[in-house]
Amino acid sequence: MVPILQNSCARATSLEEARYRIDIPIEGRRGARVVALDDGAATLVRRLAREPWNAARFYTLPAQEPGEPGTWLHRTSGSSTPLADELAEGDVVVMIATRNDASAAAVETLGRAAAERGIMTAAVALGRQEGMTNAVRALRPYARVLLVNGEESDVAELLTAIRS
Amino acid sequence: MLKTEINELLTQTGPGTPMGELFRQYWIPALLAEELPENDSPPVRVKLLSERMLAFRDSEGRYGLIDEFCAHRGASLWFGRNEEGGLRCAYHGWKYDVTGQAVEVPSEPENSNFCAHVKLRSYPLVKIGDVLWTHMGAPDERPPLPEFEFAQVEPEQTYISKRWQESNWLQAFEGGIDSSHVSWLHSGGLKSDPLFKGAKGNEYNMNDLRPFFEVADAEGGLFVGARRNAEEDSYYWRITPWVMPSFTLVPPRGDHPVHGHWWIPIDDHNCWAYSFDYHPTRPLTETEVAAMRAGHGVHSENIPGTYRPVANKDNDYLMDREAQRRGEYFSGVKGIAIQDSSLQESMGPIVDRSKERLVSADAGIIKARQKLRKAALALQKDGTVPPGVDPAHHRVRSAAVVLPRDAAFIESSQDALTAEPGKPHASV
Repeated sequence: MVPILQNSCARATSLEEARYRIDIPIEGRRGARVVALDDGAATLVRRLAREPWNAARFYTLPAQEPGEPGTWLHRTSGSSTPLADELAEGDVVVMIATRNDASAAAVETLGRAAAERGIMTAAVALGRQEGMTNAVRALRPYARVLLVNGEESDVAELLTAIRS
Repeated sequence: MLKTEINELLTQTGPGTPMGELFRQYWIPALLAEELPENDSPPVRVKLLSERMLAFRDSEGRYGLIDEFCAHRGASLWFGRNEEGGLRCAYHGWKYDVTGQAVEVPSEPENSNFCAHVKLRSYPLVKIGDVLWTHMGAPDERPPLPEFEFAQVEPEQTYISKRWQESNWLQAFEGGIDSSHVSWLHSGGLKSDPLFKGAKGNEYNMNDLRPFFEVADAEGGLFVGARRNAEEDSYYWRITPWVMPSFTLVPPRGDHPVHGHWWIPIDDHNCWAYSFDYHPTRPLTETEVAAMRAGHGVHSENIPGTYRPVANKDNDYLMDREAQRRGEYFSGVKGIAIQDSSLQESMGPIVDRSKERLVSADAGIIKARQKLRKAALALQKDGTVPPGVDPAHHRVRSAAVVLPRDAAFIESSQDALTAEPGKPHASV
């Protein structure tokens, strides 16, 4: 069938035709969960939590917690919460490490819990890669997307880009 | 998602725009050397970064890239006569040399120095490999010439083509660092394209459709690593380097030549896709070159005498629904290059990135946008020379490697990712 209207062929990619694109508000992401894996990351996460986000939630790891590392999270408001509850409505877990000794056990717990629920995982390792080898090694099996040599602004950029 | 004002910043490359000034820091491909094949060959109209110019090669083989329009009445010099060391306007006979300097104004007295004060804007035009490169920035900030390996190997080891893409440069470039589309859009090519098929890596590609991604900063841009399962104790890594502003290398497959691209803005709604293949250690075979000329691999079959693809938006890219059903081409469009251009052009001349829904797997694109924006603003604010200007940043390679599962791709592939004359490329 030969197209007889502009909008029924590839010529509809013109700027003029772009006016007719269906334009409805895009709903933001509801399920971003951002977890700091160490003290440096916790400072960043607390700062980010004060920014206006769509529905992103921000956590640190409790200094002392019941059960395996990572099974409980600390909200930036101060209260503790079970990981399982926080992942119930989650759709992406973003882990942030600033130190080479980021908890590998917590990463594994978070990664496995996300994988079981079909939740995407991403991680940002801040700092030069040569100083973050252990952290990167711990993150690699569990972060489907890993930004290494990252800068602080990468975290906000990533969260903004994915409408967190 | 990108704010509208940032989208505009990244996509507008005309004179005086932040991204336009960023592009003007680099040596960029202006045209192919084949477009000016001999001394006094016909001049070629060139539009780059929203500036209209004319390229020509004078009687002594010097290349010039000058304002397209005569200083006298604004007529196009494309109609001019390229002869006796300059380009003469067909209207009233004003003549210019390759620097844009007027050398004759016939209406003035013979001993007049009038023409000494008439000079068209001009840019340098330098042949390296099969490309004529230009630098459209300030002459006193001109960096050393580019040192990309594809343009430095022996002529028989390299092949380059170009095609007109009817979209902004950014959406074309973003396809180059978006490794996750390969297993879908180009899946047919992995099985059948003569410049792709037969590599062991293709099996790893097709057996694992959900790669993990790592994005690492590099001095000149980024390395984007896509990791797939290989054997029980190993991963298959495809590592794509990006050198700012818009140069990428595709990870190789087996002993096939290495592909890569340069995306150069023509104006804000059009760009040139320069696509090349080279082999670092051997001449390309006749069969390979014939395949490239026929539009296989990353190349396109163009309308003879032009750089417009035969399959283009006027004919719906020769979409073949039967081939799509058979699984020959995932999208029904033939050829890697046109598969990319058809979808990227379908987004519109400048895609509205405030409406997109990125996912974390788009981290390479997100990071690249951030680096471009920061570099453009740092240049604007305090003149910071952006990454990718230093020729040392050009000496990179792509790689396809199988690594132990606990190996970091950057550290383990440092040597493979560095270009050195005569060194075999790392490929699976």
